Amino acid sequence: MPERGALTLIFVAALVATVPLFAGDFWVSLTIKILVLGLLALSVDLLLGHAGLLSLCHAAFFAMSAYTVAILQVRYGVPMLIAVPAGLAMGTLLALVFGVSVRTRGVYFILVTIALGFIVWGVTYRWASFTGGDNGITNVPYPAIGDFQITSMTAYFYVVLLVVLGCVLAYRTLVRSPFGLVLRGLKSSESRMRSLGYSPLRHLYVAFVLSGFMASLAGVLYIYFNRFVNPATAHFHISVEAVLMAILGGTGTILGPFLGSVVIMVLRNWVSGFFPYYMTLMGLVFIVTVLFAPNGIIGLVNSWRARRARRAKTTDAVGTEPEAQPRPQP
Amino acid sequence: MRAGTANSAALELTGVTKRFGGLVAVDDVSLTVRPGERHILIGPNGAGKTTLFNCITGTFWPSSGQIRFFDVDVSRLAERDRARLGIGRTFQISNVLVELTVSENLILAVLGRDRRKWMMHKPFADLGAVADSVGTALATVRLDHRLNDPVASLSYGERKQLDLALALAMEPRALFLDEPCAGLAPSERQRVSQIIGELPDDITVVMIEHDMDIALRLAERVTVLHQGQVIFEGSPDEVETDTQVREVYFGSG
Ligand SMILES: Nc1ncnc2c1ncn2[C@@H]1O[C@H](COP(=O)(O)OP(=O)(O)O)[C@@H](O)[C@H]1O
Ligand SMILES: [Mg+2]
Repeated sequence: MPERGALTLIFVAALVATVPLFAGDFWVSLTIKILVLGLLALSVDLLLGHAGLLSLCHAAFFAMSAYTVAILQVRYGVPMLIAVPAGLAMGTLLALVFGVSVRTRGVYFILVTIALGFIVWGVTYRWASFTGGDNGITNVPYPAIGDFQITSMTAYFYVVLLVVLGCVLAYRTLVRSPFGLVLRGLKSSESRMRSLGYSPLRHLYVAFVLSGFMASLAGVLYIYFNRFVNPATAHFHISVEAVLMAILGGTGTILGPFLGSVVIMVLRNWVSGFFPYYMTLMGLVFIVTVLFAPNGIIGLVNSWRARRARRAKTTDAVGTEPEAQPRPQP
Repeated sequence: MRAGTANSAALELTGVTKRFGGLVAVDDVSLTVRPGERHILIGPNGAGKTTLFNCITGTFWPSSGQIRFFDVDVSRLAERDRARLGIGRTFQISNVLVELTVSENLILAVLGRDRRKWMMHKPFADLGAVADSVGTALATVRLDHRLNDPVASLSYGERKQLDLALALAMEPRALFLDEPCAGLAPSERQRVSQIIGELPDDITVVMIEHDMDIALRLAERVTVLHQGQVIFEGSPDEVETDTQVREVYFGSG
């Protein structure tokens, strides 16, 4: 029986499901991008918000699965039922290798992941005979199982929504499990955790691979939406954007990365249409967030609600207890 | 109780040495602690007490020498493996999981030696038996009323109590307490020393303590460390009259 938190997520998904009923293709397509990039941001936030590791290589897993699917389908005519698992497997395999980065911490972890991300980007860009270089791989077929093909944007929108909802519910189970708690324990004090019998390396490695798997899944959803892939998909820029989404929306939460995705995607895809300085605006939004809402949009809402609850309490009670402090952010 | 013969030692150090570059922080220390013993380690600041604890608990390996824990050579074991053998510790400066709640801290302590720390499909809040261990550990350190509070709202004294509860919740065979009363107000020191006095008899306790009143009240054996070396080992009565100890420790000739 799903309890309140899960029901909230299902309710939000149901709201999102109404978008095609009143909005045109532009908005449906934008919502797909928000969901897919939001999923990527959520995968980044498993490491950032729970384990306390800031990864800047997640575009690599995203692109790895997208390229794998594209190359298999376009070059070798492999059907989707095989191309998709292969894409997920390749992205996850890459995460198994890149997972060695959890041997480092802090600035070194960030630098190592940046370097790993650039390796993948470099390959997509330079190994032109295989990856198509700058042009990438075009004409990826519509998603199809046998004769059943999804060609309409709206139909694919619902596929994406369902997959993302499934992912989010699984993610929620994961972060509420003992495993998720261990990650937060490691974020708080590795030395204490070690003395309690934990191996930080093992837990962080598994978390890294799970996170890479999620990013790969986002890549698969992306390739059947975009139907072409080029080196921009693997670029550092995408990795950074995913991190910004998580921070903007609120790390360590589930809706946060998706809210961050809404803000950034609306700026990038809609505001950019009539406001040429949208990048500058994005920078400003980010700075304002870090300065005035370090816990993101969700943090802002929570502290506003806590303040309201406290005010309600002080009016009808004399002695009040101090409120729980918000979790400090990295 | 398994492992080892009836009269085997809980802890046996032979020639343990730890160097940091040119500095010999722990110098050829040999020491035996019986199971269930209350053993106090004293010595001036910088004597190497914490470093010796770190060698025993596995924060780092000794440069040379051997550490046996209930007849198992642990000198080259990883910290987590020593924890699994039953070595629990607290820290001189409280080391608790500040971003979490008290109960989350303790659940992690209970799961440290448990395979369920890898469980991914069930909420940690639903692990039934864990709650009992959590409750017992909290009751022992008298923090029951703080169960659901964030650690960030705890006073420093309460954090030191929680630090002790974490070590207890992992059900250790031996506890290594690094100055459990350091930095506490007199009333808090009183409480903590009382808690330590009431610890179950079957847990071996090795404790670093500066407060001589507390130390000598709890101790069955006392070891004095000075510049990395053991300069005295004996009963609490003997330590007060030992002239060498008086010189280096009490600063009077
Ligand atoms: N990790 C370390 N690296 C280098 N020197 C250290 C380290 N830990 C302790 N020391 C040095 O070892 C000596 C003993 O320190 P410590 O064991 O903390 O003493 P105590 O706990 O008895 O006050 C000190 O001189 C200290 O500076
Ligand atoms: Mg010390």
